[in-house]
Amino acid sequence: MLDLRQIEKTFNAGTANELRALQGIDLSVDEGSFVVIVGTNGSGKSTLLNAIAGTFPVDAGTIRIDGVDVTAWPEHRRASLVGRVFQNPFSGTAPSMTIAENLVLATRRGRGRGLGWALTGRMRRELRERVRWLNMSLEDRLDDPIGSLSGGQRQALTLLMASWVKPKLLLLDEHTAALDPKSADQVIRLSQEIVSRDRLTTLAVTHSMTQVTHLGDRVVMMHRGRVIHDFRDAEKRRLRVDDLLARFEEVRRAEQIDETAAELLRQMYA
Amino acid sequence: MSLVIGAFTIGAILSLLALGVFVSFRVFEFPDITVDGSITLGAAVAATLLVAQVHPVPATAIACAAGAVAGAATGVIHTRFGINKLLSGILVMTALYSVNLHVMGRSNVPLLSERTLATLAESAGTAVFGADRLNLAGWEVSTRDVSVLVVALLAVTLAAALLFVFFRTHLGTTMQAAGDNAQMISALGVNVKTMIVLGLALSNAMVALAGALLAQYQGFADVQMGIGMVVWGLASVIIGEALVGTRQLGFLITGAVMGSVLFRLLVAIALRGGLNPNDLKLITAVFVFVALVLPAIVSRVAAPRRGQPSGARA
Repeated sequence: MLDLRQIEKTFNAGTANELRALQGIDLSVDEGSFVVIVGTNGSGKSTLLNAIAGTFPVDAGTIRIDGVDVTAWPEHRRASLVGRVFQNPFSGTAPSMTIAENLVLATRRGRGRGLGWALTGRMRRELRERVRWLNMSLEDRLDDPIGSLSGGQRQALTLLMASWVKPKLLLLDEHTAALDPKSADQVIRLSQEIVSRDRLTTLAVTHSMTQVTHLGDRVVMMHRGRVIHDFRDAEKRRLRVDDLLARFEEVRRAEQIDETAAELLRQMYA
Repeated sequence: MSLVIGAFTIGAILSLLALGVFVSFRVFEFPDITVDGSITLGAAVAATLLVAQVHPVPATAIACAAGAVAGAATGVIHTRFGINKLLSGILVMTALYSVNLHVMGRSNVPLLSERTLATLAESAGTAVFGADRLNLAGWEVSTRDVSVLVVALLAVTLAAALLFVFFRTHLGTTMQAAGDNAQMISALGVNVKTMIVLGLALSNAMVALAGALLAQYQGFADVQMGIGMVVWGLASVIIGEALVGTRQLGFLITGAVMGSVLFRLLVAIALRGGLNPNDLKLITAVFVFVALVLPAIVSRVAAPRRGQPSGARA
């Protein structure tokens, strides 16, 4: 469903702040697979998701979604294939518009937006039905501005919006990181339910080690813009938090050795 | 009395300008100075066509379309070429000054004996009331003034209603969302740049309509008539928001119309009371400045010792 070949992205190329965020990422994701992406800060996890969504063009490589080469597509065009939930609960909804208006916008993802009446009676009934499913008592507040809701409620609605028109690919970018633990649990549970109900191909970035072991059927570990480990099938099922931490520690130590070695070389030849 | 009716009529006509500014400034947070040029453009196009004996209705419609093109130009300059919002507007406004002179062929086009929407309204009014003078609640007023006011109010009501309906359609809600949260609407498959261009076209079409009606009401188009009009529109929008005191779209649209009429009345009263007309723009600018900074000052005074200055927003 998703096929990444040799994706490269460097920010601020040629300046002192040069950051090689993605360094030749290869990744294939099967239809219906739920991939969890983990990594240290600055490892390129979110950059990878943004590259897939088309927030910026990549420097090299190809991105295929559902067999279509979308590498040259702008973000809004890729949105016809991709549903997204952002880390910041404020990013996914228009705060001064009502819940109903926000949802109705999502019903047109990837479709034309003409002069048809947006909130018809039938649409309202459908909205109410789907919002009730969230179990957050929001179905009676459809005409409240979304800005008046809590972060958790907004993320739940964004999730509903991202999956309203079934996407080929669902991208969850640390979508519970900004929430309190209780709301985070609730949003995670909703995500799991939606993903399994609609059999969505999903990429989720997370910081939470417990989420890693409970979520998804595959774990991709990133470090410094590269994929350093790919836990699949049985290996993923056996995966424990300690295994992940051990793997990170291993990488860190390897790097320290590299740095000491480099330092030695510098001293010898300087 | 005719002074009051005149103030109401101009207030009503300029409320179209206020609605235009509402769309650019409040929906898109785009301080669009194109307005100063496009209101004149609307007047110039309408006046020139009327002098060429075109029927007032298509003349006004074409003026509207010209305004839409001007707005779209600002939008394209900003979105495709990445030029700062204010500067995009300034460029188009400056260019329009020459365009307007070319359209009119001179700096002022009088509409002395041409058929205009105002004369059409007058003859319709005379046909309905059957007299040149009317008794309006004890005051004797001219039928012309009343008919023109009625037509202006009808036009504004229609425009406001259409705008409200538009913001209830798929395209309209999308436009609102593009102004409210560009990241979100982009993730839902909408090209935000296109929305900005469309929004500015819509905004300036309404502004040009105001210009076309104003020229027909006052009987001339002048190349200088647009100066400071964006601030005027802004003042109307701000007064309107204070009047309705809510963020709901229907109220905001009504508020902008009411604000425009009220502002024009206040100006008429001030001028009658001896205000030097030369000071009008200065006072309008100061008024908008005060209206923009007042909320921050009030909240700072209301909560003086709370650590963070509450005027600053995150």
